[in-house]
Amino acid sequence: MNGYGGSILRVNLTEGRITRTPTSPGLARDYIGGRGFGIYTLYHEVPKGADPLGPENKLIISTGPFAGTMVPGGGKCDWTTKSPLTGGYADASMGGHFTAELRYAGLDSIILEGISPKPVYLFIDDDTVELRDAAPYWGKGVFDVEDEFKKKYGEEFQIAAIGPGGENRVLYACVNHDIGRQAGRGGVGAVMGSKQVKAIVLHGTKSIPVADVAGLRTASLALFKACKEAEMTRDWTRYGTNIVSSWCDEVGALPTHNFQAGSYEGAKTLSGPVMREQLVVMDKGCFACPCPCGKYSRLKKYKSHLEGPEYETVGLFGANLGISDLQDVGECNRLCDEYGIDAISAGVCVGWAMECYERGLLTKADCDGLELKWGNVEAVHATIRKIAFREGKLGELLAQGTKKAAETVGGGSEKFAIHVKGMEQSAYATHSATAMLLAYMTGDVGAHHNRSWAITYDLQVGRDKVVPEKVARIIWLQDFRPMFETLGCCRLQWVELGIDRDLYMPALDAIVGGAHTWKEMEHIGARIWNLTRLYWAREIEGFDRSWDMPSPRFYSEPPKSGATQGQITRLEDVNKLLDIYYEQRGWDANGLPTPETLKNLQLDQVVL
Amino acid sequence: MTVMLRLHPALRSYVEGKPELTAAPGASVRAVLSDAGIPVELVAAVIVNDEQRDKDYVLQAGDRVRLLAVIGGG
Repeated sequence: MNGYGGSILRVNLTEGRITRTPTSPGLARDYIGGRGFGIYTLYHEVPKGADPLGPENKLIISTGPFAGTMVPGGGKCDWTTKSPLTGGYADASMGGHFTAELRYAGLDSIILEGISPKPVYLFIDDDTVELRDAAPYWGKGVFDVEDEFKKKYGEEFQIAAIGPGGENRVLYACVNHDIGRQAGRGGVGAVMGSKQVKAIVLHGTKSIPVADVAGLRTASLALFKACKEAEMTRDWTRYGTNIVSSWCDEVGALPTHNFQAGSYEGAKTLSGPVMREQLVVMDKGCFACPCPCGKYSRLKKYKSHLEGPEYETVGLFGANLGISDLQDVGECNRLCDEYGIDAISAGVCVGWAMECYERGLLTKADCDGLELKWGNVEAVHATIRKIAFREGKLGELLAQGTKKAAETVGGGSEKFAIHVKGMEQSAYATHSATAMLLAYMTGDVGAHHNRSWAITYDLQVGRDKVVPEKVARIIWLQDFRPMFETLGCCRLQWVELGIDRDLYMPALDAIVGGAHTWKEMEHIGARIWNLTRLYWAREIEGFDRSWDMPSPRFYSEPPKSGATQGQITRLEDVNKLLDIYYEQRGWDANGLPTPETLKNLQLDQVVL
Repeated sequence: MTVMLRLHPALRSYVEGKPELTAAPGASVRAVLSDAGIPVELVAAVIVNDEQRDKDYVLQAGDRVRLLAVIGGG
C-alpha cells in the first residue's frame, strides 16, 4: 500500500507476545494515520471503563504518510491512550527522529497492550522485535537512558523513554526522545510506566513505498522552497518559540502568578533575545526540518545543558511562578525533561500550589518544609523532584494534577485550578480573548493550544467579541490543524511560516496516489474530532457541557494589572460561545453529536 | 535617506497590500506603525539587522527591519 509501512505491530506485554498485522486500506482511507489511527483503535479496542493505568488500556503510537519522506517536518508521531490525568481521550504528538525510523522499520503503528510482569524495553531493528530486560535502566533519568542505549546500539537507533515520573505514574508523565522532544501531554508516560515499559529502541532500513517518486521530489522541493523564502524563517529559527514571549506580555497573554494576570513585570529578562544571548549554544531541528526551532542551551549557573526552554516553559515556569531569570526557568525545564514529566502541566500545578501557599490554603508543613512563595526558585526545583518521585505530601498531591489536587485541598482552590477537563491550560492567559478561550474549552484533550490557537484573530476581530465568525474559525482550525499530525508531519511550517497549505496536497497525491484536497482532509479531521468526543461521552458518566467550562478565573476575576487589567469574559458570553459552538458543530445542547452529524461523518455505523 | 520596513503578509492588508513601509531615521517603530494605521499589537516581533528589538526602537539609517506577526501560535 503506497504511503504506508504496511504493518501494525501489536505487543502483548502480559504474555510477551508480538504480532504484526497488515495496515488496513480502509483505515488508511478513512483515518489517514497518526491520531486518526489512534482514536479508531482506542475507541474500538479499549473497553468502556478501562482503568487508564490497568492492563486493558493501550498505548497506541502511530504516524502517517508524510513521515520519513522528503516532506518538510515529516517526523511526527502521535501517542494515543485513555488519559490517567483526565479519564478521557489523550494524544500527544512527538517530533525528533523516532518517527522516521518507525517508518523505515515498516511500521505504521505500535500498540502496547497488557502489563509486563517486569520492566522491559521494546527493541526493534527492522524485523527483529524483542522485549528485553530493562532492569539496568529502571529508575534512571531519560538523558542517561538515551545515552546508554545510544552507546549500546549505536547512534542510528532512536530512543523514546520514560523517566522516574512515568515509572511513578505521575498522571502527567511524558515520554522523552532525542533529549528535548516529548510526547508531552495527558500522561502517556504514566501509561507506559504502568505497563512497565522503560523505552522503545528503534531502527529501520526499509523503504517506504511511494506512488510517484518524481512527483514527491517535485512537491517536496516546492515546499522546502516556500519554507526557505518565507518571511519568518530566519527569525523563527534564530529565536524559536520564545520569539513570542515579549509580545504575549504586551497583549496580556503571558500567564502570570497562576494566570491572575497576563502581563509580568519581569518579562523583559525572559525574552527571546535574552535567551539567544545568554543561553543558546546552537539550533536543533527534527527530521526533515527547514526551520529548526529547537535550541540547545547551556545554563552556566547550574552547569547543565538542555534543549529549550520553549515559550511554554518560559511562560509557565517564568511569569506564572514569578521567576524572571531564564537560567532558573531553564533548570525547571531540564528537571522536568530528565524526570519525564510534562513541563506544561507541572508549571500549572506548581503555580496553583504557590497560590494556595500565598493564600494560606497550604502550609509549610503541607509543603514538606518548602516555602512556596512566588519566585522561590529553590522551592520550585525541589517541588519538581517531589512530583516526579511522589515524595512527601506535596509530591503526592501535585502528581495527580491540578484538578484532583484542588478537589483534595478544597477551600475555594478549585476556582483557581487552571484546567479544562482535568488537563492544565497551556501558556496563554485568556481573560480577554474569547476565541482562544473557546479553543481551550473545547480542546479534545483538554486545555491545550495545539488544536487551535487564535490570539491574533481575537485581536483582529475584537478580543471581547462573541460572534459566530470566531466560533467558525476555531472549528475550522480544530478540523484542519491536527491533520498535520494525522499525516505524520509538523504543522509549524504552515502555522509559523505561513506557507501555502495547498503545496502539501501534491505531496500526498504523490505518496499515496490519487487526488486529495484539504476539504477532504478537513472532513476526515471532523470525523476524528467527533469520534474523540464520543469517546469522552462514553468514558465519563454524565458527560455534558460542564466539561467544556474553563477555569472560573477567566470569567470572574479580571486581572488587577497589565495589558488586560480590568478585562474579563462574562459568564453569559462563555455560555453563548458554547451554544454557538455546539450549533455549528451539529451537537445537541449537552455537547453531544446528533445522529445526523454522525451520519454526515460516516460515524453512524462505527459507533453502533 | 529612508529606512525600509518589511511587513509580514498578515500585516499588509492594513496598507493596501504593500509589502514594505518606508520611514525616516529617528522615528520609532511604534510611531511608524501608528502612522501607517497598522495595529501595533498585531506586530509580534520587530527584527532589526537580524536582532529582535522592542517597538520603541528608534530607526537608524541603514537598518534592515522586518515586522512579524504570529498567525499560528505553536
